[in-house]
Amino acid sequence: MTEYLDPTDSVAVPRKTATRPSSLDGKVVTLLDISKAKGDHLLDRLEELLRERAAPKAIVRKKKPTFARPAPDPLRDEIVGATDVLIEALAD
Amino acid sequence: MVTQLETDPIEALYERGVTDGLPVVPPTRERVERAVEASGRAGDELVALVPPNYGRATVEKIAVNAVMAGCRPEYLPVVLAAVEAVCDEAFDLHGVSATTNAPAPLIVVNGPIRRALDINCGAGLFGPGWRANATIGRALRLVCVNVGGARPGVVSMSTFAHPGRYTYCIGEHEEASPWDSLAVEHGFAPGDDTVALLAADAPITVYDQRSRTAPDVLATVAASMAVIEHHKMTHWGDTLLVFSPEHAAVVAGDGWSKDDVRRFLFERLQRPVHELVPGKNGGDGLPEHVLRKFADPEHDATPIPKFRAPQHIKILVAGGTAGRFSAVVPGWTFSKGSNLVMRRIR
Amino acid sequence: MHDGVFFEDHGIPTATIISTEFARAAKAQAEALGATGYRTVMVQHPIQPLTRDEVRALADKVFDEVLARVTA
Repeated sequence: MTEYLDPTDSVAVPRKTATRPSSLDGKVVTLLDISKAKGDHLLDRLEELLRERAAPKAIVRKKKPTFARPAPDPLRDEIVGATDVLIEALAD
Repeated sequence: MVTQLETDPIEALYERGVTDGLPVVPPTRERVERAVEASGRAGDELVALVPPNYGRATVEKIAVNAVMAGCRPEYLPVVLAAVEAVCDEAFDLHGVSATTNAPAPLIVVNGPIRRALDINCGAGLFGPGWRANATIGRALRLVCVNVGGARPGVVSMSTFAHPGRYTYCIGEHEEASPWDSLAVEHGFAPGDDTVALLAADAPITVYDQRSRTAPDVLATVAASMAVIEHHKMTHWGDTLLVFSPEHAAVVAGDGWSKDDVRRFLFERLQRPVHELVPGKNGGDGLPEHVLRKFADPEHDATPIPKFRAPQHIKILVAGGTAGRFSAVVPGWTFSKGSNLVMRRIR
Repeated sequence: MHDGVFFEDHGIPTATIISTEFARAAKAQAEALGATGYRTVMVQHPIQPLTRDEVRALADKVFDEVLARVTA
């Protein structure tokens, strides 16, 4: 049979999964709001719970300009350089 | 001779999951090479990275999809410009492809190439019957799915989508317009061939047979624009207003420019805060961060415009020379979201 | 998903919270990028019509899972 050219392009490259700390004690935790409505309420409560039930060194709040795009590079770099753990919400 | 179903090329391509649900033209090397050649560009030239996967759309990869869509080789320059435009950061194809809302990229073609390729800009332009319109729009869709990874119901999560996701390509009826074309308004020369890409809902037809003045036509049009997204949506961005030649003649006959039209509609499409409070006459309304700016929203009469600025109302003239209709084509253009993007066809 | 995959790839343990309706899309998108093992934390869809307190209650519900997702 005739061969057809491939209309697709695979972009899958091997991705790493980060090593987990045993607890959040003394860690910097960043809460990233993706800017979808209601996500801030969820993160507000998670922040309270983190303060009550874990002992993070700091909790940092960050916000994407819009949920409709990936975080801009400067924001990504800023987060990578300054946090141990990330929690992002809320995609719905 | 009877072809076995398993070896039928059309069925084989369905099997690979690379169609839009309609049969595609098998992308043989010969057909693809003809298309690449017609573009005058190298097959391995990278045109864009296509969100959401950011797959590599080379000239050849786009040609494969254009062949499948049924394009003639000479259509390829238009498809290349359209792919480049939707992959511009300002278009936010990532959001357009992933949203639960319904936008499809609409291609508006300006310039002499409309005539050279027989791109319909007259009667029935949003509908079937013209190979160029049907296949150029379809080629862009196939690129979004096959290179960008926007598979419907898998990654592309639109609740409804709309038929324009099969194909959505029109020309401006420049010859029937009393004004500068969309392209000329945006700084291109009258002889330039361009595409304008808008993340667009399906067209809303506005019926107005009896208006004889610009304010009358526009009062009717404004009422249809008021309900874009929902009746209390505000801060909206690029949206297309397509005047039929007959409506355009009425409006321009009163001496109105496109700017006059935009100003009129912008002014008219404002509502006081107290009519935009969520949970009153509909659960939706102004977002919380806007509401917070008013001490007593329930009684505040500050006018809030539907559109962020008059220039977001993009105007063109198209359609058949008979018929007193306009079409509103809402953009999916909330603040920080998608914008109209234009490119010269080369 | 792009952000979550990016941060994991850059050594930051990440919990991405999504609503249940997007489980399949999230998995497909992560896999398309090559992140086959990427796991999200899910809250019940829909979110947009909920009150502030209802959304906060969802946080209480998933807190332990969020904690587990970013620790070993």
